[in-house]
Amino acid sequence: MPGWGKKLVALGLFFALCTPLFAEKLIDTLFLNQGKIEMVDGVQMPYFSFNSTSVFSKENTRLLVDVGDSLELLIVNTDSVDHAFQVKGLTASTSISANDSVWVNVELTETGAFIYYDPSAGEKYRYMGAAGMIVVRNPNQQTSDFYWNMKDHQSVYNVSLSEGQNVDWSQYYPDYFTINGRSNPDINADPAARVAGKVGDTLHIYMVNTGQSIHSIHFHGYHAKIMYSSKFPDHVGRNKDTFPIYGMEVVALELVPHQPGEYPVHDHNLVAVSAGNIYPNGMFLTLLIE
Amino acid sequence: MKKYFPFIFTLISCFTTILAQEENFFLIARNKGEKILTTGDTIRTFGFARKLSEQPGVPGPTLVVKEGDSVHIDLLNMSQGAPHTIHLHGLDVDQQNDGVPHLSFEIPHMEHGFYHFKAPHPGTYLYHCHVASTIHVQAGMYGLIIVKPSDGSNKTWDGGESFVNEHSYFLSEIDTVWHRDSVLLHPYDTSHVMNHIQIPHFDPQFFLINGLSDQQLLDSNVVFESSMGQQDFVRLANIGFCGVRVIFPQQLKARIVSSDGRPFETEESSDTIYVYPGERYGVLTKSSVEFSDQIRFEYLDLNTNQLKNTQVIPVSVQGQLGLPNFDQEEITAQLVPNPFYGNTDLHLSLREGRELTFKIYDLQGRLVEEHEERFFTVGQHEVALGKSLRESGIYTLQIISAGNVIQLEKLLRLE
Ligand SMILES: [Cu+2]
Ligand SMILES: [Cu+2]
Repeated sequence: MPGWGKKLVALGLFFALCTPLFAEKLIDTLFLNQGKIEMVDGVQMPYFSFNSTSVFSKENTRLLVDVGDSLELLIVNTDSVDHAFQVKGLTASTSISANDSVWVNVELTETGAFIYYDPSAGEKYRYMGAAGMIVVRNPNQQTSDFYWNMKDHQSVYNVSLSEGQNVDWSQYYPDYFTINGRSNPDINADPAARVAGKVGDTLHIYMVNTGQSIHSIHFHGYHAKIMYSSKFPDHVGRNKDTFPIYGMEVVALELVPHQPGEYPVHDHNLVAVSAGNIYPNGMFLTLLIE
Repeated sequence: MKKYFPFIFTLISCFTTILAQEENFFLIARNKGEKILTTGDTIRTFGFARKLSEQPGVPGPTLVVKEGDSVHIDLLNMSQGAPHTIHLHGLDVDQQNDGVPHLSFEIPHMEHGFYHFKAPHPGTYLYHCHVASTIHVQAGMYGLIIVKPSDGSNKTWDGGESFVNEHSYFLSEIDTVWHRDSVLLHPYDTSHVMNHIQIPHFDPQFFLINGLSDQQLLDSNVVFESSMGQQDFVRLANIGFCGVRVIFPQQLKARIVSSDGRPFETEESSDTIYVYPGERYGVLTKSSVEFSDQIRFEYLDLNTNQLKNTQVIPVSVQGQLGLPNFDQEEITAQLVPNPFYGNTDLHLSLREGRELTFKIYDLQGRLVEEHEERFFTVGQHEVALGKSLRESGIYTLQIISAGNVIQLEKLLRLE
C-alpha cells in the first residue's frame, strides 16, 4: 500500500507538470454562412458552410488540434432562420437562433477525426454543405497530413430543399461528387487534398464522408493501413487498397509509400467519377510520390 | 513509344531471370461481345478473350499465378473503337503498368500492350480496363487475378491455413441501357485534353455472380458443396457499382481472414460481410453438421442503402462425402429409443475392435456433447447418449474413428 501511495504521488506530479505543456484550450469561431457552390461544369447550387469569417466559402473550415486539447467554439448563425451545431459522437446538438451565436465546448481525448455539422431540420443543412471536420493529431508523430471532406450532391435536391420543399431520400441519385468542394481535375489543385510526398514518408489521410452515399475509395499503387474508423473500430490495423466509407463516418489512413509515381485514388463506385453525368469529373484525384 | 520499352525489358529479363517462374498471358480486348441474359435477351458487351475464336466473357478469364511469379500480360486490342488498358487492381504495380491511360499508356486498335509485375501477397485481385472506366467496366471488361502461395498449395497464404476447395464469387451488375451502341461507342480523345464522356443513369436490372444471375446462375451448378469438418475458402470480389451484403449460413462458421490481398492481424467471425465496389475478402468456412441452405447476396443501392436484389448460391454439406472408404458393414449403430426423453442408448455392433469417439451437435452446429475416445471390442455395445442435451429438438450424432466421421445419426429429443 505505501508503495502505491508513492507511485500515485509521482504520477500526479508527472501529470501536473505535463498537462499545462500539452493540453491547450483553443478558442475558435465558426460562421454558418449561406451561399452557392459552383461545380466543375459551372452548375451552381444552394449551399451552406461553416467558415472562419462571415464571408461564404464552399469549404468548411478544418479545425486541427492535438490530442488532449479542448476547443471553445463560438458558432455564429448568420442566417435568418434557426440552425444547430453538433460534433458527432462528442457533443449534443445545440440550437442557435437566427442571427445569434452560442459557445460550444469540445474535449478531444482521442486521435482521429470528427465531423461537426448542423443537425437541424432533419439534417437538410448538413446535406447542403454544413459539415466539416475536426482532426485530432498526435503531436509527437512526424507525418504529412491530408484532409478529404467527401460529399455527394443531387443538384435538384439542393434547389428543392432551399426552397422549403421536401425531397424523397429513397429516390436520391447524386450527380456531383466532391472532395473539399472540388471534383476532378480541380481536387489536385487543393494542397490539403492532393497527396504528395516521398517514398518512406508517413502520410496520414483523414477521410470524412459528410454526404448521404457510401463511397468506396480505391488507391492505385499502394495499400494503406486503417488507423481510425468511426463506424468499425475493429477494422483498425487492416491493410487494404479499397476503403468503403459510410455517410457521416470517418476513416483515417496511414500510407507509407514504397514506390514513386503518380497514381489515382477514386471512388470505385465508378458512377461517382462523374459530374453532371460527365466522366471523369467526379471523385478522382492522384497521389504524387517522389 | 512507351509500349515498346516493356517489351525490350521482357527480352532482357528472360535472359537474366531464367530460374524465376514466368507466367505469360495473352488477352484480346474486344468490343463486340454478346451476352445472353437470364431472360434470354442478348446484349452487346466489351470484354477480354484468350483467342480470336473465343467470345469475350463477362467476366473475363481468371488469371491464376503464384506468389513471386513474374507475370506478363500481352494485351491485343482488336476492337474498332476506343483504346483499352488493363488496370491491375490491388497489385500495387509501378506507374508504367498501372493501366490508367493518361498516367501509363493506352492501347489503340490493332496494337499490343505489355504489362509486367511480380505477383505479390497471395490473395484475390482484379484486372479491368481503365479507359472511360465507368463505361468499359460496366461493358464487361473485368476479370479476377488469384495469387496462390508460392508453392501453389491450397493455403490462404504461406504458413496460413489449409483448405480443400476454393470458391470465387465475383459480383457485378448489368444495366442494359449501358449496353446500347449509343453508350458503348462513346467519343474518345486520345490526347486527353477533353475526355468528357456522357454516362447514363445507372439502374441495373441484372445482379450477377460470376457473370450470371437468377435461373442462369442456378442452372450453372454453382452449388457450394462441402463435407462435414472440411475447411473451404471463399473469395468475394466486387467490381460492380452496388454494395453487396453477403450472408453465409451460420453452420458454415464463416471467418473473414483477409481482404484486398492482405491477411488480417485479427480475423473476424461473422456470417455477414459487406463487400463494396473494388473490395475483396477471403473467408474460411467449415461446418460440423450436415445441412443444406444457401449463401445470400443482397445488392444494395449505395445512395439509398435500399435492397435492390438478392441472388443465392445453394449450399450442400454432406456427412459422408470425402471421407476415407469405410466399410459400412463393419459397424452398425442404432439409437434406442429415438425420439427419446432424457437420454437414449446407442446400440453398436462391431466386426472389428476400434477406438471410437461420439460427438453431438445442435442444428446451429454447436458441439453440445462429447464422449472421450475409448476402445470398443468386437461385438455388441450399448452407450448412453444425450445426457447433456437441455432442449428438445433435432441433433446430429457423429461417430468418429481415427479422426474421421464414419457414421451420422439424427437424434430427436422430446420435452
Ligand atoms: Cu476498355
Ligand atoms: Cu479498379
